[in-house]
Amino acid sequence: MRRSSMSKALVRRETISGYLFLLPSLIFFVGFVVYPMIMCVYTSFFDATMGKDRQDIFIGLQNYKDLFKDPAFLKALKNTLVIVIVSVPVTCAFSLWVSSAIYKMRGPIRSAFRCIFYLPVVTGSVAVTVVWKWMYNNYYGIFNYIGKGLGIIEKNINWLGDERFALGCIILILLTTSVGQPIVLYVSALGNVDNSLVEAAQVDGANDLQVFWKIKWPQIMPTTLYIMVITTINSFQCFALIQLLTSGGPNHSTDTIMYYIYYQAFKLYHYGYGNAMGVILAIIIAIFSAVQFKLAKADTSY
Amino acid sequence: MATVTLKGIKKVYDNKVTAVHDFDLEIADKEFIVLVGPSGCGKSTTLRMVAGLEDISAGDLYIGDRRVNDVEPKDRDIAMVFQSYALYPHMTVYDNMAFALKLRKMPKDEIDRRVKEAAAILDITQYLDRKPKALSGGQRQRVAIGRAIVREPQVFLMDEPLSNLDAKLRNQMRAEIIKLRQRIDTTFIYVTHDQTEAMTLGDRIVIMKDGFIQQIGTPQEVFDEPTNMFVAGFIGTPQMNFFDGKVVKKGDGYELHTHGAVMELTKAAQEKLKAQNITEKDVTVGIRPEHVHLAEASKATLGAKVDVSEMMGSEIYLHVDADGKDVVLRIPSTELPSEWRAGIPYGTQIAFTFPPELLHLFDPETEKNILL
Ligand SMILES: Nc1ncnc2c1ncn2[C@@H]1O[C@H](COP(=O)(O)OP(=O)(O)OP(=O)(O)O)[C@@H](O)[C@H]1O
Ligand SMILES: [Mg+2]
Repeated sequence: MRRSSMSKALVRRETISGYLFLLPSLIFFVGFVVYPMIMCVYTSFFDATMGKDRQDIFIGLQNYKDLFKDPAFLKALKNTLVIVIVSVPVTCAFSLWVSSAIYKMRGPIRSAFRCIFYLPVVTGSVAVTVVWKWMYNNYYGIFNYIGKGLGIIEKNINWLGDERFALGCIILILLTTSVGQPIVLYVSALGNVDNSLVEAAQVDGANDLQVFWKIKWPQIMPTTLYIMVITTINSFQCFALIQLLTSGGPNHSTDTIMYYIYYQAFKLYHYGYGNAMGVILAIIIAIFSAVQFKLAKADTSY
Repeated sequence: MATVTLKGIKKVYDNKVTAVHDFDLEIADKEFIVLVGPSGCGKSTTLRMVAGLEDISAGDLYIGDRRVNDVEPKDRDIAMVFQSYALYPHMTVYDNMAFALKLRKMPKDEIDRRVKEAAAILDITQYLDRKPKALSGGQRQRVAIGRAIVREPQVFLMDEPLSNLDAKLRNQMRAEIIKLRQRIDTTFIYVTHDQTEAMTLGDRIVIMKDGFIQQIGTPQEVFDEPTNMFVAGFIGTPQMNFFDGKVVKKGDGYELHTHGAVMELTKAAQEKLKAQNITEKDVTVGIRPEHVHLAEASKATLGAKVDVSEMMGSEIYLHVDADGKDVVLRIPSTELPSEWRAGIPYGTQIAFTFPPELLHLFDPETEKNILL
């Protein structure tokens, strides 16, 4: 009797101290994540302007209704989806290809490659963007120089200023900054595949390609899933590049939802309207991630 | 079903470690060969070279009449059971076993037939839909073997397949491998560091040490006629006892002096010594614990003091101290006086001897058996 009551007290003490240790991060989490999220959803039902003297007016779902009639939003949505649909598979495929080529190399060479691909990630988007801006430049950019030199293009192209190319150019930059982490992850995932499984498959009669797709690929599926999810989220949230390079132009051809939120909320002070977009973006990202989880789960359960 | 021939096979790893030296072995069709030796002696390396998982640094490897040095593992028609089982974790037991057959584009019903048949032999039919994670060690072991037998390969390779199992399961699986072997009747190369497994499974045993073959022979041969002290000590439990001794020519024959005892040698042994023109020579005497017996103290016995006696049921393991030398005796309990059945007290003075036809003589320097 005594023992059990003592252990109960112990359990309570442990629980309390557990929460105490959690407290600092809990406060932080609630204050800077949960509360803003709730506020975001809440204000999306108002004609909120962030103005000091103006009263926010409750307008129900009007913001959401307006959104789907706003051609600029629809265009931003389309652009964002294009970015995601192009960059997620390309990032996954490219980083898988690079990693499977380099993971068996000797330590220093492997590190050198990892370093090269990881560099854009740590360089910071402003620095990277400045370089790209120069490369894309209409007058002295290297792309025009090389393109003309090789005879691929006849006259200078204003890469970022041309509706036909601008989004593609943005996606290209996005790719260079987003393959770094997947490559690092894939290299270690491939290195961790139990070698005896590979050997067993070889003895069982599998050629290199079969070993890769039937043994290694399922083994690295959890990594692939993680990479897909983070790349999806990153692509959906593509903002800094747009802000620094095109500001959504020309003619909204590089608008993304993220940029359009910023534009509506902070340039035009349509705060409620922007938040409504934020809510929709969050829902879309959640759906995408859930679908990816479902698809990959079917393959990885063991 | 094929012969396997290893001619002067050598393996030098990248770090300049020579793991296998001049390995020569001809394996007959349907023979069960066991490679045995202490850890790091190159057993796995040899097996992996046969499988094609490791490059061969020098020498020639033939499976059947085909030289396969440069043939990829997938084209060698071998199956291998790995120590870690290496079951594909993302596939069910059925798919694990069917994998190799699917790769060979075998018709579905034929695959099904073979998998079901192997599963029945190994008693794993009820687990066919499970993933390996949901199986016990012994069941995984069976699946690994099943995956190999559905292939009906020319050569069956096994690298310490039982070492991850507990003692009881190991004995059981060992018996099953013997049964299996009679059913599937193909060439086996089996690696183990356990001499009991080697003795019970092998048609012939290859005993290795530091990358060199020490002896190749049937279990009987390596037990009765070990070529050197290493083999003599490695095969048999408890280990063979070794004493210092001396053979001395006496008239036309020889006698053996060891720890104060003077013993006769067999005619055959004396002939061998004579042929080597020995008049007097220091030797190491080897005698297995089960070949030592207690005797009345006499000219031909060694005296000793009992240290520990281990009652094993049908026999007693007696650890005694003979002249500072630790000696083990295995004595059937029925041969013991009744007051000693339950164990012999510490410090008891005893005398023991051994029959001349069962002792082994080794050269103390080269450690070679001088009676062969
Ligand atoms: N990949 C490798 N690179 C370098 N040296 C190796 C490699 N694999 C094995 N060796 C060395 O080769 C020798 C033989 O190794 P091997 O694995 O064949 O031994 P083994 O007889 O199978 O031992 P165990 O009973 O422990 O499995 C050892 O000295 C080992 O250190
Ligand atoms: Mg080994």
